[in-house]
Order: sequence, then structure tokens, then C-alpha cells
Amino acid sequence: MSSKTTTGATEPARAGVERLHAAGLHAPADAVLSVRGLNVRFNSENGVVHAVRGVDFDLLPGKTLGIVGESGSGKSVTSLAIMGLLPPTAQVSGSVRLKGRELLGLSDKDMCAFRGNDLAMVFQDPLSSLTPVFTVGTQIIEALTIHHPAMSRKAKEARAVELLAMVGIPSPRERLKAFPHEFSGGMRQRVMIAIAIANNPRVLIADEPTTALDVTIQAQVLEVLHTAQEETGAAVVMITHDLGVVAGMADDIMVMYAGKPVETGAVDDIYYSPRMPYTLGLLGAVPRVDVTEKTSLVPIEGMPPNLLTPPTGCSFAPRCPLASDACLDGEPDLEPVGAGTLHRAACIKSGSLGGSVDVHDVFAAPPVPVSRFDTVPREERRTVLQLKEVRKHFSLTRGALIKRKIGTVKAVDGVSFDIREGECFSIVGESGSGKTTTLLEIMEFHPGQDGEVVIGSLSNKQAADAKTKAGMRRELQMVFQDPTGALDPRFTVYEVLAEPLENAGMGREAIRKRIMELMKLVGLQPDHVNRFPNQFSGGQRQRIGIARALAVNPKLVVLDEPVSALDVSVQAGVINLLDHLRADLGLSYLLVAHDLSVVRHISNRVAVMYLGKIVEIGAVDRVFDNPRHPYTRALLSAIPVPDPQLERTRERIILQGDLPSPLQAPKGCNFATRCPVFAALPPAKQEKCLTLEPPLEAAASTADQRFACFFPDGELDEDMLVVHETRSTIPPEISRPQAPPLAPQ
Amino acid sequence: MTNLNAVDPAAVAQDAHLESADVVIGKNTIIFRRFLRNRTAVAGLAIFVALTVFSFIGGFFTPWDKETIDPFNIGMPPSADHYLGTSQAGIDLYAMTVEGTRISILIGLVVGLVSVLIAAVYGCTMAYFGGKVDKVMLFILEALIMMPALLVVAVATSGGGAGLKRDVPSWLLLIIVLLVFSWMGTARLIRSMSMSLMQRDFVKAAQYMGVPPRRIVWRHLVPNIGSLLILDITRGVTAAILAEVAFSFIGIGIKVPDVSLGVLIGGATSQVQTFPWMFWVPLTVMFLLTGSLAMMNDGLRDAFDPSSSSTGKAKKAKARKTSAEKKAA
Repeated sequence: MSSKTTTGATEPARAGVERLHAAGLHAPADAVLSVRGLNVRFNSENGVVHAVRGVDFDLLPGKTLGIVGESGSGKSVTSLAIMGLLPPTAQVSGSVRLKGRELLGLSDKDMCAFRGNDLAMVFQDPLSSLTPVFTVGTQIIEALTIHHPAMSRKAKEARAVELLAMVGIPSPRERLKAFPHEFSGGMRQRVMIAIAIANNPRVLIADEPTTALDVTIQAQVLEVLHTAQEETGAAVVMITHDLGVVAGMADDIMVMYAGKPVETGAVDDIYYSPRMPYTLGLLGAVPRVDVTEKTSLVPIEGMPPNLLTPPTGCSFAPRCPLASDACLDGEPDLEPVGAGTLHRAACIKSGSLGGSVDVHDVFAAPPVPVSRFDTVPREERRTVLQLKEVRKHFSLTRGALIKRKIGTVKAVDGVSFDIREGECFSIVGESGSGKTTTLLEIMEFHPGQDGEVVIGSLSNKQAADAKTKAGMRRELQMVFQDPTGALDPRFTVYEVLAEPLENAGMGREAIRKRIMELMKLVGLQPDHVNRFPNQFSGGQRQRIGIARALAVNPKLVVLDEPVSALDVSVQAGVINLLDHLRADLGLSYLLVAHDLSVVRHISNRVAVMYLGKIVEIGAVDRVFDNPRHPYTRALLSAIPVPDPQLERTRERIILQGDLPSPLQAPKGCNFATRCPVFAALPPAKQEKCLTLEPPLEAAASTADQRFACFFPDGELDEDMLVVHETRSTIPPEISRPQAPPLAPQ
Repeated sequence: MTNLNAVDPAAVAQDAHLESADVVIGKNTIIFRRFLRNRTAVAGLAIFVALTVFSFIGGFFTPWDKETIDPFNIGMPPSADHYLGTSQAGIDLYAMTVEGTRISILIGLVVGLVSVLIAAVYGCTMAYFGGKVDKVMLFILEALIMMPALLVVAVATSGGGAGLKRDVPSWLLLIIVLLVFSWMGTARLIRSMSMSLMQRDFVKAAQYMGVPPRRIVWRHLVPNIGSLLILDITRGVTAAILAEVAFSFIGIGIKVPDVSLGVLIGGATSQVQTFPWMFWVPLTVMFLLTGSLAMMNDGLRDAFDPSSSSTGKAKKAKARKTSAEKKAA
């Protein structure tokens, strides 16, 4: 069922150079792309960085290879080297053969014959990969013209329409004339995919194609990629750091670490019986959205080695809990883990790591911290934050001289909730749903706001003077999403941490003492206080951000996507830290996140927001295990799970389209335009959804769960459900006529 | 169970990693190295320093000064007595050039530095407060840009400022006038840069901690546009030197008996045929001065630009060396 991923030297005894020359002959005859001994070096201020150190793989037509690894592991550099897109300052060696033809060493001009034709790429950021001054149609037709100069204008236009339809853009003929700014991020990524498959490529490289998108849009785009692959029969190289994304898509997985593949094999082998501690750790570091976990996550301590000096032992040994002296003696090669299997791992202990090894034992995951509030019933705890009917409306105006009001954007529309002591409350939703605006409303805290915000015992209605505000700042602090952006690059850690303390009027000696305490509290070396933020890794920077928020001993910490900018392995460490700070200091958190698995892991209660309103709120296990609102159901089903079998068989709700612009918000239920339940309702019942606004009502049971939907038990619309199971039996067809792209199979 | 005082093994590991591997290079070191890698820029710096030193100590190498007239050598070409010849009035050109270079450099440095400082504070304040403050300050700025600088310089240095002229030397007057009219462009640039900095989370973080605005501008905004400021200083110095030369050339800048490169060039234009040294010498010095600054500016841009490719290539020779090292190990 899997393609043949030969990795490592076929005959290790032969000299490297000779091996490279023979590599093309040894590759399976039917491989479209075979890479042998790919090496990439860059120069840096510190010396030559050996970014990719010997990558080998073969890709069979119609198959998908997932390349997984932390940032800096050489995934993207590998793909760029294959495309010949690395800057001329990089030195690339090895062999890349496309249908038997050597690509390395070709001039830029010669490469142009392959790029966009046989080899195509989808980039990470859809917002910047389309030219803003040309229409989408022009850009698709450009891709066709370059490789098919003989094609007539009519034929090209027809093909462009066909392509747009294939990637699921409604009314493609009209949209051909639209400019990129008229499309949303997900739509632009679809256009990018359309351009990539325009010339029926043999190999499609997707470099983190969904990282910049919302979960619901991510599900749509993955679906489109899937369709595109079926339509063209192309082989796909999928590069990602998210083990969930590739679980349902890939046939083979290559795990990269420090520029080298450390484990390769069929997708089931990798997920169900990983043989390399690094893979084991990566899988253990991902929180699951589909199960209640009462264990801590597995953090992989330390950071990847720098690639300036060739490693003398296993490159993962410094971070590996199983490392022994033997591991430091020479870098292990990729070896088959058993006879007659294609599963290979670069670990001398791969034999002892089987399916039954528990990752929590291997990596010594910390025990789950217990808070003193856990035993107190929720009603008896003190309220630390309360929002009552908070609203934030922006009016949109048009006209240069005389401003006319053309509408109102209801960014936050009557949001109420409360947070008790020692509790983590999360807000989830797509971007544009008003999560961040809600946070900003809380942080703003002034009497002019519409609605009441009560922090501790202070209400925003009495916050006229600076003293109340200062008091509020001591109760409430914030941790930002991007740890790099949130720290002034010109401040040392000491200055960063001293700023809130100085502001609170603390003495010099007291500040010094408090900073040392804080450093220890968040697990940083106290003598690192004189370093600058750029001397720390992403996870450590986020720890500094957390320390700064804790400096003035707040009761409530607002976390704005605190881990979304971090690698999975580092993310696990930060989540564990947050968890145990909450338990030990009795903190409350208000967390905004789009990653529902993180939310499930860390929160006690959750609110789902859609277009400025809370559509479902309640205890996290209740809401996630038994979602009542169709939007919650869709969100949950869009999250990919790092479990290939589950991922292949489970039913997914693919929401149609994007979040509607707040200007065109429907009259009745906000969600009606995209609702899978609404689509399946008889017209008589649809009328109710369109005219009346569903109130937030408690679920029938007495449990802590409220939702805003008239028909929570309604049937889901068939068209929006997708199951992947049958896909491997469908033969790839090259030119299927226009078919509805998202139709269920 | 959770021991908060335990030191994170990750941090320890990384600490060892950072110290042993020598990966941390100070930003200043990197900037300095990158600057040194640009040969042209280093040459520019050398020329500029040499000219500055020359303008201060050059006077000691000749017995003449800019006021003494040598009645025996009037309008003579370069000779052993007068290294660069004498003017029509019999004044030593070498002495005048030293003096003129000093005045020009002085004007350039003062105007360049101070105008950028004014621009930085003005621009950051505008960006930080936004709204009405921004609008009013922007209006003042635009109004100053509209003002014809040339006329004001002419009035201030010749007819109108008679009282002023008695009390302050003409070069100081010129510095003040140039300062008033030279900071607006930079201020507008800095305003837009700071506006994007304002969106950065660390400014928001400071606001949410309740840090007063004045402190935020001074501690967070100004240092973070530092690299732009340095570039703008060198550019400003060049612009000021050129402006001084231009104004003096058309006769409204520095007034005799004060000497500057502009005065020398301006005075000699009519005599290019008869006393060519009087024209070419100050012109060459001026060209060296502005040219060296331009060369430096290029190198500075390379050094400060994080995306510049001045790290150089991963050369084959180096790669071979590393692979040889690998084998040896």
C-alpha cells in the first residue's frame, strides 16, 4: 500500500561519490522523483551551516510523502533545493532526478522548463504569493502560457475556469477577473493550488500549505489538495510540523532532525510503532482534541544542535532520555527496523522501542499538577473576571470629504461570561470571530465602554482615575502570541522584567530579588538575566513573556495564543509550565486559541465564538465530547488528529466558504449561511433560523453547557460531510471533466 | 511534588550549548564585521577620518594662515612656499583649504546629528500619540516643507538679519538655518517607521503594564529605529555639506572673512582659466568628503540590514575544508 521510500545508502560499503553517481540507476524505475545524498550548506556569521545532510527518498506517482520535523530541521531547505530556488550563495550537492533527468546543476533558465510544469510548489503564505496587480485569471493563464505557448487564448481561458472550479471557487468564470485582494486567505491558497496544478505536474511540493490558515479553512484546503492530487495523479511532498495534518493524507512519512532523516516508513508504522525516540517525543508532545487527557504532555527538552560542526555522535543524543555512551560514538545510519520492512530508523536502540513503549515513561513527563482550587466547587470560588453584555461596534464609513455611514461591524456583540479563581477559561473560534477584540476590550478597561467589565472588585464603570487603572493592571496581565515581537529586542531580560516592577514603584533591591524569583519560577537560569531576547530560543522567550506577566503577582493572566508560534516539542513544555503555574500560584487564565487540542488540554471551561457572539459555552469536556451547536461540531471535526486510521475513516464536516463579512451578517442566526444543519432543514424550519436569533440556552441536562441553536439535533447536510476511506481505490484520472470538487465520494 | 526551584534541564543544556558552541555573537560585533567586509566602506571611513584629522592639524604644517597676505606671491601656482598656491589676493590656498574643510565638516556633522535627533523625537512623538496631536504636528511639518528654504537662508545671512549677523558668526547662522529646514523628511520617515513599531507587541505590553507614554517613546521607540537613525546621520551630513557648498557658491551662505569649501569654490569659478588650482583643489576636497560619506553609507546599510547577503557565500573551498576536518575527526 505504500510507495517505496528507500532512504540511506543502498550499499553502504561503496564510496560516497560513486554511490551518488549510481543512485539514479538504483532508484525504482517508476519513481517520478528520486533524491539521493542531498546536501545543502549556507554561510552564516558563525561559519558554514550544513543545513541538509544527506536526504534520500523516492516518490512514486500518485503517492504522498510527508516530511515532518521541528523548525530548522531542514524540511523547507530540502524542498527549495529540489525546486532549485535556493539563493546562489547556498551550496547544493547530491542528486535530484525527475523522471530520470538530473536537476541539480541545471542553470536557472533550464530549471524554468521544469518549474511550474513537471514540478510545482504551493507556498506557506497565500497572502504574499500572488501578485496584487494582476487578476487571478491572468496569473493562471501566465502559468499555462509559459509551458504551452501554442495554446490558444480561448483554450487557456477555458482551462483556467476549469482549474478554478476544480479547486472549489464558486462562479469561476466571473472570479477569473477578480484581483487577489478580493479573495480571502483560504481562497488565495486555492488559487495557488490551481496555478500549481495548471500544467498537470508530476510532483507537487506543498510547504506548510495550511499553517497560515484557520482550522476550518485548513480542512477545506487539505480537501482541495486531495482533489488536486486525484485529478492530476501527481506525487505530493507535504512538508509540515503538524503531525495531525499529514496523518490523513500521507502514504509515507520522513521525520527529519538536524538536517537528516531520522526515521522513514509507511504512515501507520511511524504513528503506531515509532522506533526513534525523537518521533516518539514528537507524537507525545501533541495534545489530542478527541480524548480527555489527564497526563502532562511530553516536552522534548533542549534545542536542535547547531549544524556548524559535524556531529560526532547521534545528533539527538543531547536531548534523548535514552541516550547512553554508545549513542555518542558515531552518527547512526538509517537501518531497517526489521527484516523485510521499509520502516527505517536512525537509532541504535530502535530494536527495543516497539509498539508497547509508553512515551510518558521514556520522556519522564511531569505529573499532572493539582491546584488547591480543584477540590472546591466552582460556585464557591471567588469571581476574578466578569463580563456583562460587552459590545464593541465599529461603524464603517465611506467617502473622502463627507463620511457616510454604510454599516456597522459588530466585532463583539453582547458577550457575557465569568472566570473563577484557579480556572482556565478559553475562547475559541475562527479569525474574525471577535476573540481578540474581546481581549482588547478587557485590557482597555475604561468607563466609556458598552457593557461592564469587572476585574476582581473593580468595575470599568468606576475606572475614571489613574489609581483604579493601576490597581486593575496589578490584577490582570497579558502574555502575547509572538514571543519575539513581545520583547523589545534592545532590552536585556533584566530590563524586560524590571519594567513592570519599576512601574509599580518597587525599590531597586526588591526588584532584583523579585526578578531572580521570577526566573526560577518559569524555569530559566537566573544568571541569564543579562542576555538579550535574541539569545534565547522561542520557548524560552515565551517563558520570559510569562515571567513578565507574573511580575506584579496578578490574579488573572490573559493568554493570547501563547503557544501557536512555537514548535510542538517546545509548545508542550510551555503548556506544562502554564499548567503548573496555575496550580501552584492559584492563577486564573483567560486563553484565546485557535488550536482546539491545546484548549482541551489546558482549559476547564470553553466558549465558542462566531461573529462576535458566544454560540456555545460550558465545561470543556462537556462541550468537546457532546457539542450541540453545529459550528462547534464543525470546528471539532476540522481538527486533524495524529492518528492515521481514525483520520482516514472519520466523518468530517467541511464548512462551505469563509466567515461572512460582518457587514453582511444575517438577520436571524449568524451561522445560517454556512450551517450544515440549516442546509438540510425543510424550508419551513429554515424560516425560523433566518428570522429569529437563537438565545444562549442551557442544555437539557443540568451540566454546565449552554448553546445558541434551535435545532441542535438536526441532520447534517450530506454535501458537507467527507470521509476519506475509499480514496486509495480510486485510480488517478488525468482529465476528469469538471466535477463538484468537494463532493462526497 | 512540583518543585519550582528546580533548574530547568533544558535551560542548562542550552546554556552549555550556547557557551560551548560560541553561537552568540553580539549584534554590534556582527554589524562591525559586516561593515569591515565592505572594502569600499572601509576606504570611505579612512578617507573621512583622514580629512577630519587634516582639517584640525593641517594648519601646523604651514606658517601661513587664512588672513595673512603674502605680497610677494599673488596668484602664484603651487610652490615650495605655498604648497597649493595662493589666491588673487595673495592668501595661502593650503591654509584656506584646511580652514574651509574644518568649517564644512563642522557644519555637516552638527546639522546631520542634530537634525536627525530632532526628527527622531518629533517623529516618534507624532506616531505615539496619533490622532489630533499627530494631525497638528504633521501640519507644522508640511508647512515647513513648503517654506522656500533658499529665501530664508538668503534673508537670514545677508540683508534681514543684520542684528543677528553682528552677534553670531556666519557659519553658526547657517547651521541654525540649515537645521530648521533639514529635519522634516527624516521626521516623516521616522513617523511611519514608529507607527509600524507601535503595532508591535512589546509596545502594547508596555502600555498594558501602565508605562507612561514619555518613557515608551524614549525607551522603546527611539532605540529601535537606531539603525535607521545612523544611516540618516551620514546621509544628513552629506546633505548639509552639499547645502553649505551650494549656498556659499551662490553667495548667501558663509561670508568672508569666514572660509568654507563652498566659498572657495564659488569665488574661483570665474578664474578657472587663470588660476585653475584655486578651483580644482577645494572641489577635490569637497568631492573626497561627500564621496567618502557615500561610500560609508553603502557599507552601513549592508551592516544594519538584517536581510542583506553580506554573510558571503558558502564557498567550495570552505566546504572542502570542513569535510576534511570531518574526516580528520
